[in-house]
Amino acid sequence: MTQCPECEAAVENHDKIPGEVFPCTDCGTELEVLKTDPFAVQPAPKEAEDWGE
Amino acid sequence: MSEGFSLGVFYTIIRPEEKAILAAAEARGIAVQRIDDGETTFGLEKPAGLPNVVVNRSVSHTRSLYATRFFAHYGVPTVNSPEVTELAGDKILTSLRLAERGIPTPRTIVALSPEAALKAIEQVGYPAVLKPAIGSWGRLMAKVNNVEDAEQILEHKAALTSPLHSVIYVQEYVPKPGRDLRVFVVGDEVVAAMYRRSSDWRTNAARGATTEAADISPELRELSLKAAEAVGGGVLAVDLMEAPSGLVVHEVNPTPEFKALAAATGADVAGRIVDYAVRLGRQ
Repeated sequence: MTQCPECEAAVENHDKIPGEVFPCTDCGTELEVLKTDPFAVQPAPKEAEDWGE
Repeated sequence: MSEGFSLGVFYTIIRPEEKAILAAAEARGIAVQRIDDGETTFGLEKPAGLPNVVVNRSVSHTRSLYATRFFAHYGVPTVNSPEVTELAGDKILTSLRLAERGIPTPRTIVALSPEAALKAIEQVGYPAVLKPAIGSWGRLMAKVNNVEDAEQILEHKAALTSPLHSVIYVQEYVPKPGRDLRVFVVGDEVVAAMYRRSSDWRTNAARGATTEAADISPELRELSLKAAEAVGGGVLAVDLMEAPSGLVVHEVNPTPEFKALAAATGADVAGRIVDYAVRLGRQ
């Protein structure tokens, strides 16, 4: 378990993998898994101009 | 069964789509190399330990362009190829190719400067849709209903310094029936199709459109396969609209999302992508 860097809510690692993005269940901030052992997250990268499908 | 063989997944972030691809590879006993597009470097000499094939899932068009070129340089095939990535990642190049192949597509005019754009919009007629040539998810798209709208949008475009914003891609507004169609093509097969419905004129799933499975009529299948083949083929999502004149193709996406499509149709999209990539890697 770790904390959301925005709202400090508890964030749990349920089978997440490095690079995975998911929203904080409390504040909705998109987070990215930095590493799983120990579990660490950071705000997900911001959408860039050339991002898309 | 797959000893020595590995599949690379080149990614920016791991979304449900990438997770599904990793799971599909694991379920098939295929070793996977995860390649982070923000951390990898590319030299001119072929490095050791490369995978046999790379599935490009980078969300960045720029990174995709160069990375697929480097993998090709190293002799590693990619899904999709550098040529398909370049063409389908750019709406202008895609429109040119669709027109060259006689595939119905909305009327499109391109201006290479904001100054020329008003002329392009007038040529298309109101309402018109302005789209960035690169990028998607409905971002920075604008529906222009009249000359006042056009002048305001173009003033904003002119204030943006990126050369990308100086190129204005103008398309006729197609009065679609509150929905469009997305057809997922893998190789020479249509895997699944869905409707995307929205009260907004943009029907991107990323904009909150609701989705439901669509029947794949012979006409829809044929047109989708033709559009995919026109840009070079591979793993592609073909977006179509039901115009009063019939189906028109408005986009072909080279690194498509498929979470909503898989949920709406039950299709094993990730599995089909992995199977296609593995076949390519073994050739």
